[in-house]
Amino acid sequence: MKLSHSRSRRKSPVLQRESAILFTVAGVVFAIAADAIDEVRNLDGLVPCATTSAYQRLDKVKFTLERQGSRYFVVDAGAHFGIPAAASPATRLMVMRSIPVAVLVGGIERMHDIGAVRPLPGAFHGDERRWYRGLAILKRRAVPVVNADAFLTRAEFTLLEGKCALAPKSIAAAGA
Amino acid sequence: MTQMPPSRQSGESASFVLFPIGKKRFALPAAMVTELAREDEPQTFPHTSPLLVGVLLRRGRIVPVCDVAPVLIGPEAPLRKFYLIANRSLSCGDEWTAIPVSGECELTQAEMLPVTGQLPGYVSGLLALQEEIVEVLNLDQLLNAEACL
Repeated sequence: MKLSHSRSRRKSPVLQRESAILFTVAGVVFAIAADAIDEVRNLDGLVPCATTSAYQRLDKVKFTLERQGSRYFVVDAGAHFGIPAAASPATRLMVMRSIPVAVLVGGIERMHDIGAVRPLPGAFHGDERRWYRGLAILKRRAVPVVNADAFLTRAEFTLLEGKCALAPKSIAAAGA
Repeated sequence: MTQMPPSRQSGESASFVLFPIGKKRFALPAAMVTELAREDEPQTFPHTSPLLVGVLLRRGRIVPVCDVAPVLIGPEAPLRKFYLIANRSLSCGDEWTAIPVSGECELTQAEMLPVTGQLPGYVSGLLALQEEIVEVLNLDQLLNAEACL
């Protein structure tokens, strides 16, 4: 009895807290680890890249951003999560820290300490298992905690490198 | 709290929870059912899993809400008023699942008869009650959800 008691103690999850940025897309609140974000900025400096692609999932990337000598692919969070464009106008850009991705979102709510990220229930078995690290409970609300690495896959990066290779400067020059 | 196997020996009686969806009643093994709860707006977020409409927070658990009415009776399903919360055994462990139902549930003791004729794969047996034949559902088949990746 004593042994099983101590075992169950060892198994109980450690409540780790982490800082997260709460952002909205079409009114839905999401959380993302604060240390995954390098900067939150307005939409200045976005450069269109080719908008048609045989690979439909890449339609979520319509812009790039040149920043500190690096190019970032700009992912529309609404398109990434399958939300109709009309419902998810973007006002802010979250620039990721460790990957060349920036994400268009509807707005930034605030920074917040979230408790343990709970696993997504097993009944969820679609793309959301890749999109989210799990769910955080904030004021009796289940908030999906976004997996920053899922905005673009390695294959998508490779395709985008080709797709957007000539776009930024040439479009800017054509417009001048 | 595991789901009853699809077939039972003849003459063996067991407990089932009957629940209405629209004008039709269905059944689940009583051992699977944890509670009947009042309708509460499910919390939603983007996902691509069919039939899932969101989650509820219930007694410290995150409970997915699976609306099976479109599969069972089609798109014209009337308003659901309650949640029947069932315990499912997934490969990643037990998990509660909330099923929106149209009205009050009833506990009954009956013998489950084998499926006859051409019924969908999610029907694991039949209950012959006084005035109706009730389909016993296999939730896992219904939700097509050996879901833990």
